[in-house]
Amino acid sequence: MATGDGGAYSYSLTVFSPSGKLVQIEHALARVSQGTTSLGIKATNGIVIATEKKASSILMDMSMIEKVCMICPNIGIVYSGMGPDYRVLVSKARKSAQAYWKIYGEYPPTRVLVQELATVMQQATQSGGVRPYGVSLLVAGWDPNRGATLYQVDPSGSFWAWKASAIGKNMINAKTFLEKRYNDDISLEDAIHTALLTLKEGFEGQMTEKTIELGIITVPSKEELRELGGEAGLSVPNAGTGRPKPTFRKLTEEEVRDYLAM
Amino acid sequence: MEVSFAITGKGYVILAADQNAARSIIKMKADEDKIKALGSHLLMAYSGEPGDTVQFAEYVERNLRLQQMRNNHPLRPQAAASWVRRSIADSLRSRSPYAVNILLGGYDMANKQAKLYWMDYLGTQVDVPFAAHGYGSYFALSLLDREVQKRLVISFPSFKVKVVDEGGVREVELDMTV
Amino acid sequence: MSIMEYNGGSVVAMAGKDCVAIASDLRLGNQALTIATNFEKVFPVTERIMLGMAGLATDVLTLRDRFRFRVNMYTIKEEREIEPETFAHLVSSTLYERRFGPYFIEPVIAGLGKGTNKPFIASTDVIGCINFAKDFVVAGTATDKLFGVAESLWEPDLEPEDLFETISQTLMNAVDRDAFSGWGAVVHIITPEKVITRHLKARMD
Repeated sequence: MATGDGGAYSYSLTVFSPSGKLVQIEHALARVSQGTTSLGIKATNGIVIATEKKASSILMDMSMIEKVCMICPNIGIVYSGMGPDYRVLVSKARKSAQAYWKIYGEYPPTRVLVQELATVMQQATQSGGVRPYGVSLLVAGWDPNRGATLYQVDPSGSFWAWKASAIGKNMINAKTFLEKRYNDDISLEDAIHTALLTLKEGFEGQMTEKTIELGIITVPSKEELRELGGEAGLSVPNAGTGRPKPTFRKLTEEEVRDYLAM
Repeated sequence: MEVSFAITGKGYVILAADQNAARSIIKMKADEDKIKALGSHLLMAYSGEPGDTVQFAEYVERNLRLQQMRNNHPLRPQAAASWVRRSIADSLRSRSPYAVNILLGGYDMANKQAKLYWMDYLGTQVDVPFAAHGYGSYFALSLLDREVQKRLVISFPSFKVKVVDEGGVREVELDMTV
Repeated sequence: MSIMEYNGGSVVAMAGKDCVAIASDLRLGNQALTIATNFEKVFPVTERIMLGMAGLATDVLTLRDRFRFRVNMYTIKEEREIEPETFAHLVSSTLYERRFGPYFIEPVIAGLGKGTNKPFIASTDVIGCINFAKDFVVAGTATDKLFGVAESLWEPDLEPEDLFETISQTLMNAVDRDAFSGWGAVVHIITPEKVITRHLKARMD
């Protein structure tokens, strides 16, 4: 008999409890809700994903910690929960995006990458000798077919598409806040400000460019699209670099500082 | 030095294969049956590397039988041909490929049509009205092109001849004196 | 004896104005002996993409099945039809998987892009090196003849019916000078509305 509330079902193997729960997954979700808050908002012309960066000591060099990550030029992700688990998922996602590129000559649509990530996370709930991933993810991406999309993936491997969502410590409050603030014709600039305001609600300490990370998807204009190779999108490389123009990018510390000042 | 022929007609396929089993210059046998009934309405004439032929033919026979038992339904000629082709094609790129050439004739009970497939050891498959394997093909195909079906110009003493039509598979005696 | 010439056969594709055409002969041979005269070498991939393959017939059939499988999986996973460029890359990577024991075929791809109806044609070699072309692509035992005839007959922005005439004449005149190709032909014209398929009688000898 194991200790704690899960009883015999809290061991590493994910097993149904008599009531039908997978306690290991609930533990993973508990870990996520202890993690720092992250959120994402879909705007008319893009998406913003944001998170707070907490230092456990003032001696830490926060510039080396990266929580918002680019997976491929059209997809970026952020997490709440366990940092090490996230790093593993990021490298799996990047590898999967490159594998897709090797076959089809273009980067995966957001949905396909999300599905791939969700499969990896689901498999950790059914394989022997492993525990579920202790993270929830927010995945923001753009593809020519579905446009800009924002997904959330949970430790169970389930995923949803959102207009706006929050995960982590303050997710309940943040979501309520977002529900009040969100409207369907919000611009990316407004969305970035709303994202910062939402984070501010539950923020402990000072919000600075060192403690905030932002990533944005910018929907390409008609002209840029043509440059990317017509409606088909990312498949034809840019004449100059031979690479597709990224639609996802992280905001620099200077840009974050400017948004905070506004 | 083997030969097999097949011709489709209205509602039937007829297959013929020589009956020799020879090693080098020695004729070992003159009553070999090189046409297998793979089902009630499916015939397969096979030729090629001695040893491979019977082995592969029996492999196909048992597998198609298994499928029929599992699904309580025989494969239609087109599906059977696809399966056989795939087996040959997979074998071609394996460590020890089968060198077997096949004529697959069947009567499709679903749409009341006779079908004939020509297949070689590479896994080349084609749906044809008449077909031949072996040296006889050089004579037979040109003759059949001209629709002269009166005689087959080759000096094998005897042929095993089998027909498949709506009534199923049966053997016919070929009068070699004509 | 080259394995690429064992069965014979030729394929050609051409771009027109908001349309593309792809055609093949119908011969299947064993070197000089003709086995069948109904062996089509062009297969539909989607409503607006077709794939032609010249080379070893067994590999034509195997790859036809393989591509059907891969495109079906793509359509299910992505919930959309594959685009011509993307399909060309799929063909390329499928062939390159067998870099050191290749399938003996040279594929030719023809299709129209989604929305834009942009004509797309491409071909690759046996290990998947892609050749994007604006005008025409060829493959098979009559390659050299096809290049010659196509070079003199093709012109830019042909309408579907004119493109049909151009590709038909190109193929027929080329295969007439090739002993391993011929025995009739099949031509597909892909337009934004539909695919027109016509079977041609040629010199049947």
